[in-house]
Amino acid sequence: MKTFLQSKLLQGIIVSNVIILIVIWLNNLFHSEKDGILIYSEFVILPLLMGVISAWFWRSLNLKSRSIIWYSILDGFLAIVLSYIFLGEGTICLIIVSPLIFAFVITGAFIGKAMFRKNNQTLNVSIVSILLVVFTVDSVSDHHYRNMVSDEIVINATPETIWKHVVSFDKIKRANTYWLFKVGMPSPMQTTVTAYRKGAGRKCIFSNGYVFDEKIVTFDINKDLTFDIIGQPKDPEIMGHIDIERGQFLLKDNGNGTTTLVGNSWYSLKVFPIWYYDLWAESITRNVHLRVMEHIKEISEQN
Amino acid sequence: MFLFIVKRLNFLKSIPLFALVFDSLIKMWMLIAKPERLDQIDEIEREVLKWKNTSVSLHKFGGTQFNYKKIEFAHIHSNGILDILFLRKIKSELMLEGKIKEHHVFKKSGWISFNVQHIEDVNYALYLLKRSYEIGSDK
Repeated sequence: MKTFLQSKLLQGIIVSNVIILIVIWLNNLFHSEKDGILIYSEFVILPLLMGVISAWFWRSLNLKSRSIIWYSILDGFLAIVLSYIFLGEGTICLIIVSPLIFAFVITGAFIGKAMFRKNNQTLNVSIVSILLVVFTVDSVSDHHYRNMVSDEIVINATPETIWKHVVSFDKIKRANTYWLFKVGMPSPMQTTVTAYRKGAGRKCIFSNGYVFDEKIVTFDINKDLTFDIIGQPKDPEIMGHIDIERGQFLLKDNGNGTTTLVGNSWYSLKVFPIWYYDLWAESITRNVHLRVMEHIKEISEQN
Repeated sequence: MFLFIVKRLNFLKSIPLFALVFDSLIKMWMLIAKPERLDQIDEIEREVLKWKNTSVSLHKFGGTQFNYKKIEFAHIHSNGILDILFLRKIKSELMLEGKIKEHHVFKKSGWISFNVQHIEDVNYALYLLKRSYEIGSDK
C-alpha cells in the first residue's frame, strides 16, 4: 500500500486530476459560461488530456493493457468524485457523465502510451497543442441547443373526459418503471392549476418536492393546452443542466370514441456534446411525458 | 456489434477520435467479458516489438498497428481481430490452411483477418505476423 501511495501510478492519477481541476478553474475564471453551461471540451478534451498526463507518469512502468484500463477507470472515478465535491454535481448527473469520462480517459491513456513509447516529441507537442487549441476555441464559443420531444398515446375516452385530467391531476401512485426514476431521479407526481383559463398559473410537482411553475398560454378547451415554464428548480442533478421551456398537450378526436393525446416539450440543453447528452435528455423527457400521459389515460378510462 | 459498425456505420470512422473511442469501449467490454484477450494482444505486441525495425502505433481505425520501418504491415483490434497484409499469392496459400478469413472489409485485397480467441491462437497469430514481416524485410 505504501509503495502504491509513493508510486508513479498514484502520481499519474493525482497529478492528472489536479491539472484538470486547475484548467477548469482557470477556464471558469476567464471564460465563465453564462447559466452554468458545460461545454464539449470539459467532457471530451479534458478527460483525454487526463489520460495522456497519466500515461506520461506510467510510461516507464510497462503496464499491461488491462492495468492501464483499470487505472484509467480509477483516474476517471476520482475526477467524478472531485466533480461531486468541488463542482457540486449531483449523483444522477454523474451516473450519466461517467461512461463518457471513462471512455475518453482510457482513450487518452492509450494515446499517451503511444506518444511516450518513443521520444516522439513532434507528435507529443502537436497532439497536446491541438487539444489545447480545441479546448480554448470551444471555451470562448457560444453554445446554444434547443430541441422538442413529442410523444403520443391513444386513450379510450372522448376529449371532453380527458381534458380535465390534462389541465390538472392528482398524485400519480403507480410505481416508476424508468430506471433513472428508480435510482432517485425526480419523477412527475402531480399538477395543480389556479384557474381553468389562459393566463392561469399551473404547478408541476415532482417526487422530491421540486415544483415547476408554469403559465398557461393556450387554453383551447378539449384541444390544446400549452404552457410556458416560468420557474424551475436549480437542482445539482440533471435539472440544473436542462431548461424545460414549454409544454403542450394536444387532443385529437379519432371519431370512434378514442382520442390521441400528444405531449410535446421544448427544452434547451446546457451540457455538451449534444450527440451524447441529447440522447439522455430525449430519454428523460420522453419518460416524463409517458408517466404523465399514462396516468391521464388510466384515470380517463376509469371514468 | 463490431462487424455491424464496421460494415454499416463505416462513415463514422471519419469523425475525429471516433474509432479510438470505439476501440476503448471494446477494451472496457473485453476487460469485463474476456480480460485474457487483452493479455493475448499484449503478448503479440511484446513479441513483435522484439523483431528488428518494428514499431507499434495507434491504428487510425482503432487498435494497435504493427509497422516495419514505420510502414504498416498489420493491426489488431481490441476484440482480437488481427488484420495482416500479404501478397495475394501468399494469402491464397494461407487460406488453404483454413484458419484465416478474407479481410472483414477489403475482401479482394491481400489483407487477411485472423481472430485471436484463445491462448493457442497467439502462436498462429505470431506465425502469420512473422511471415508478413519477413516478406517486408526481404524486399
